[in-house]
Amino acid sequence: MKRVIEIIAFSTLIVLPFAACSNDNNSTANNVDTAKTTAELPKTSVETATVSIGEIVKGYLSLKNALTVDKTKEAATAGAALEATFKSFNKAALTAEQKKVFEDVEDDAKEHAEHIGSNGGNIEHQREHFETLSKDIYALVKAFGAGQTLYQDFCPMYNDKKGAIWLSETKGIQNPYYGKKMLSCGSMKEELK
Amino acid sequence: MSRLKKILLAIFIGFVAIQFVQPARNTNGQVLATDITTVVSVPDSVHTILKEACYDCHSNNTNYPFYAYIQPIGWLLNKHIQDGKSQLNFSDFGSLSKRRQESKLKSIANQIKDEAMPLPAYTILHKNAILAKAEKDLIISWANTAKDSLSQ
Ligand code: HEC
Ligand SMILES: [Cu+2]
Repeated sequence: MKRVIEIIAFSTLIVLPFAACSNDNNSTANNVDTAKTTAELPKTSVETATVSIGEIVKGYLSLKNALTVDKTKEAATAGAALEATFKSFNKAALTAEQKKVFEDVEDDAKEHAEHIGSNGGNIEHQREHFETLSKDIYALVKAFGAGQTLYQDFCPMYNDKKGAIWLSETKGIQNPYYGKKMLSCGSMKEELK
Repeated sequence: MSRLKKILLAIFIGFVAIQFVQPARNTNGQVLATDITTVVSVPDSVHTILKEACYDCHSNNTNYPFYAYIQPIGWLLNKHIQDGKSQLNFSDFGSLSKRRQESKLKSIANQIKDEAMPLPAYTILHKNAILAKAEKDLIISWANTAKDSLSQ
């Protein structure tokens, strides 16, 4: 009997650390329209002929704006919403060429959006995913057009001083990587139509 | 039998019973054509560290410790393996698109830098998976170099 108690006690000891690490996913994917910050620009007629990634861009921008003001919970909500937008995106209207670009970006962007959504409270980790997500969205905008004027900005300090890009709807610099610590750090690199 | 003994006996029987529910083993043995080594160069020094500290949860070959055969520990480890592999699988890295490969290499560097990986819960029992400063630096610079080699 003593041996039994020993085994049970021993195994409980070992289980504890494993049990402690189950990650809490607060992926409440409530699709509130967080696109309030996007400037409403009239849609051009050229654009109706192509597929619009406007919803995706809007979602990205509200995520960016949440990070700019250091709001990790809002960023999580925007991340989850962006993931949902990717999931519901209708690829049927895409040409073969467009489909290739879209599908290349899709899986990656969806995963980053998902991690941003499930990491409310860990803004540093959200920003890590945001860095790669920005490259993904940039590739999409280059291929599809954004339906609005966007600016590609560059922060030289982030990422061990290797630098990181982001997209913005405003001309003035508002750095999403450092928030209010260094809000005006960075420079505009490219205007995207 | 005293009350206590009865309870202990019941726990023991339950404990024995769950031992029969062993999760499938994550051991494949062979190196797939999509292994990470087929896509980017992985120096031995780096490979050794990855195998020691990451492969249990991020490859097709887990090196099972003896207590993994005791349930429910094995189940919990199994859960980590499923979750870990869904995020990153070194054995099947080559099946990802180039964009995804670069993205994962970036994440690896970030996770090491942030000390988020290997999972703290894991290093409690796997002391040799705790990375020294030099080992962390080595993995980070390898991940960055490998990423750059892909984007060329
Ligand atoms: C005990 C199992 C375990 C070990 C060992 C382990 N991981 Fe993980 N890893 C996980 C799990 C589970 C997840 C998914 C959940 C999470 O992110 O916490 C994960 C996620 C990741 C991710 C994605 C992170 C993100 O959120 O973006 C990366 C990258 C990663 N691991 C790299 C590594 C590297 C590199 C090592 C070795 C130094 C390692 N892991 C060791 C279990 C493990
Ligand atoms: Cu993550």
